[in-house]
Amino acid sequence: MKGFLHRFRTSLSTRLSLGVVLFAALIFITAFGYMFIVSRKAVEREAVERATQILNNTVLRVNDILDDAQIAADNVDWLVYRHLDNPDMMYELARNVLLNNPEVRGCSISFEPGYFPEKGRYFSAYAYRDGRSVLTTQEGSDLYQYFYMDWYQLPKLLNQPCWTEPYMDADYEEKTGEMFTSYCKPLTGDDGSFIGSLSVDLSLSWLSETINSVMPYPNSYNIMIGRGGSYLVYPDTTKLLNTTIFTETLAVPDSEISALGHDMLRGDEGIRKMFRNGEEWYVFYQPIKATGWSVGIVCPRSEIFSSLDRLQHIVMTIIIIGLLLMLLVCSRVVSSELKPLGELVRQTDEISAGCFDAPLPQTERVDEIGQLTRSFSHMQTSLVNYIDELTRTTANKERIEGELRIAREIQMAMVPRVFPPFPERKDIDLYALMTPAKEVGGDLYDYFLLRNTLYFCIGDVSGKGIPGSLVMAVVRNLSRVVARQDLAPAQIACQINDTVSAENEQMMFVTMIIGKIHLDTGRMEFCNCGHNPPVVFKEGEARFMDIKANVPLGIAPGFEFEGEEIADVREQPILFYTDGLNEAENAAHEQFGDDRILEVLRSAPFVSAQDSIKRINVALDAFVDGAEASDDLTMLCLEIKRNKTES
Amino acid sequence: MNRFCSIFLFSFLSAAVSLRAQEPFIFTPQWTAQAQFAGYYVAQEMGFYAEEGVSVQIVHPSASQTAMERIRTDQSQATTLQLAQALEIVDSGIPLVNVLQTSMNNGMVIVSRREKDPLTQRGARVGIWNAGFGQLAICMSQREHLDYAWTPFINSVNLFVSGAMDATLAMSYNEYYQLLQTGMDLKESYVYRFSEHGYNVQEDGVYMTLKSYRAHREQAERFARASRRGWEWAFEHPEETLDIVMKIVENQHIATNRILQKLMLEEVLRLQVDRDSQQREFRLREDMVTLASSLMTECGMLKENIPYQDLLPR
Repeated sequence: MKGFLHRFRTSLSTRLSLGVVLFAALIFITAFGYMFIVSRKAVEREAVERATQILNNTVLRVNDILDDAQIAADNVDWLVYRHLDNPDMMYELARNVLLNNPEVRGCSISFEPGYFPEKGRYFSAYAYRDGRSVLTTQEGSDLYQYFYMDWYQLPKLLNQPCWTEPYMDADYEEKTGEMFTSYCKPLTGDDGSFIGSLSVDLSLSWLSETINSVMPYPNSYNIMIGRGGSYLVYPDTTKLLNTTIFTETLAVPDSEISALGHDMLRGDEGIRKMFRNGEEWYVFYQPIKATGWSVGIVCPRSEIFSSLDRLQHIVMTIIIIGLLLMLLVCSRVVSSELKPLGELVRQTDEISAGCFDAPLPQTERVDEIGQLTRSFSHMQTSLVNYIDELTRTTANKERIEGELRIAREIQMAMVPRVFPPFPERKDIDLYALMTPAKEVGGDLYDYFLLRNTLYFCIGDVSGKGIPGSLVMAVVRNLSRVVARQDLAPAQIACQINDTVSAENEQMMFVTMIIGKIHLDTGRMEFCNCGHNPPVVFKEGEARFMDIKANVPLGIAPGFEFEGEEIADVREQPILFYTDGLNEAENAAHEQFGDDRILEVLRSAPFVSAQDSIKRINVALDAFVDGAEASDDLTMLCLEIKRNKTES
Repeated sequence: MNRFCSIFLFSFLSAAVSLRAQEPFIFTPQWTAQAQFAGYYVAQEMGFYAEEGVSVQIVHPSASQTAMERIRTDQSQATTLQLAQALEIVDSGIPLVNVLQTSMNNGMVIVSRREKDPLTQRGARVGIWNAGFGQLAICMSQREHLDYAWTPFINSVNLFVSGAMDATLAMSYNEYYQLLQTGMDLKESYVYRFSEHGYNVQEDGVYMTLKSYRAHREQAERFARASRRGWEWAFEHPEETLDIVMKIVENQHIATNRILQKLMLEEVLRLQVDRDSQQREFRLREDMVTLASSLMTECGMLKENIPYQDLLPR
């Protein structure tokens, strides 16, 4: 089962074949189901007609015989009334009934106790057969008080002619018995009062024979029940008269049998289905209205529908075999048709494993499978080309990245990175940090001692990456060359500006602060070229320096930069930085901002240049929280300390 | 008239018992063979009578000889009677002795076919046994001013089923199940149970004329002991008892079936359990004798009250 499910999930041909077969099965079942339902109804209708015909005939035959008894009684009762003055005449009348009606077995003309005073309490003239003779007797006595008998009481109490329930007349010595029933008519006086009963006895020995003379099916059988449900005809003759159709329901309730019994007792005509002994049976029944009895034919369903069932089995077998064959053929055809797809799957596996030039199956087919194979071939070619291109591009990228790594090293080598920069000068505390946003950046800083003067600069080239780094290299070299001419920072800025501005077709510019500090006096000259104002620690407080902006270098040739100076910056640490710091953004695009710079610096007393930069760097890392840097970041912090002798 | 035999459904002889040297003790149940007398059949079949040293012959009544007729003519030594019947016979001048009481409750019912409470059917035509088991019903009809029109029947329910009667008396162990067997839906509200309405008077007991009892005292006591043992065995072995009953009813061509006899046996055994003690006591209750006697006297069936002691062995 597990294997089949796996195959069902993974095999298109299996699913396709099963789908086709199931759909075909649905059509077959619908068509044949409908046919069988219609046929079944037809067969059932035929069975009902057949049973009804048999029952009609049976009822007719039974009624014919019963009618004979009724006619015999009707023919004699007027004579009874005529001879009421001569009770002994009753013997003759009863005898004549038997002589004229060979099917009648006995006849009694009985009267109410003491009706004929001269006859005493009992007078019942009874004629009966003894061999071929017909004998008569007066049957009433203290031991046989006939007026308590059913055949006497029924017409009296009902005040109308009626049939008694059948009874068994048993000969215990011979151990034989014969079933009888009696047709009884009330005899009434002139005033309408009941004076006696005329009873004609009829043997029912013919009943089973008559009813069982026609059997519609080999294993069907007939039943007949009386008004009290007693079996009058039944296959098991030991149940006759002592068992009713309801008897078994007293031990084990059986709603089907009870319903059938009540239908039959009500005098209904109809058909009922019931399950007995694991088999379905049909019971067709019809009343014998004269007596209140009911006759039924019990047929096993299997026999009624035997031909139809046989046909159904054959057709179902053919359908099942046909569907299995269809499944087999369909599966083979679909598998054969889909075989190229399997090849494609295998080739795809090879290609996905890296074997891009794996050969594809050749096909001449023009259908969807052929188109798919060709499209797949084209796709393979395109894929191979793409992979080649990608390989080349990757190689180029790796080469460029390698070159960029070298460029970065070169760029980083352009700025001084040894701290402390002047170990022998205890009065200079300087620390700088440059972090390009890409492999190479457009920020720069520089410092050097020329005699007793500390030159420094920090700058930010517009644009990042390689263009920025090239400009940065130019500006850095320019600043160092020009600065060595011992010029004022504003003059240095003018010279650099003129140089950079010349042939600046890319319109790149540089913001920059150029400064020099006379270490012996602490006087600082500087020129701001459109750069961020630095932060100064003065009197224990960090704040932005209020300085002139000028313009960035490279955009205004011949611009006269104005320099500034501070008389003494000793013991006033200054932090220079590029906009990579205050404009650094986190994932929510919030900027680090000037206020945070001051907040960080004010959060602790100034210890050293390196400490300040590291603290800002830590705060910045926490702020951006892993967001990619959008700009180069450079910080330079310096403090000029007084000589101890001066202080 | 052959029908003569069949309508009564009486049979002539029961199974023969091995006669011992002594004179056989002849017991005649008051009705044809059926589970109502299962204990006696069991005692006979299982040899309980023989073990008691009494030779018993069970002779059922016939159309020409009722059980009481056989007792009167000394053809049988013992018979079963309902208590009310026994009182009526004693009242008629035939002293009786109860040698074994089996029933502890009354099983008589009135079943109505009009889907009405029998107590509301004033003047209704009600079937009653011609054999005379309906004393309490007649009393009830008088006391409740129902004035039933009693219609005697022999032994079948055909008159009732045919619609000739409004209601019928029935024994809860016999005719009641026969009626159910005809497919009638006997709802409890259509069934009047005498035992539930102040008429719970014991029924079957084994009776002998005083004269016969005095002549066969020893045999009677042994018969009673063995019969009681038969009933107790029947209670403990209902299926085997049914086998015995069915063998006898088939021999006697009784129109019945095993299911009816099984239901009859169960109900008869149930009626043998005293309501107060919940025991199978096998004794005549003085209070029930007094109740039956006073009811029947009140209704004019007895000339005077018959005391409990008049039915005891003496």
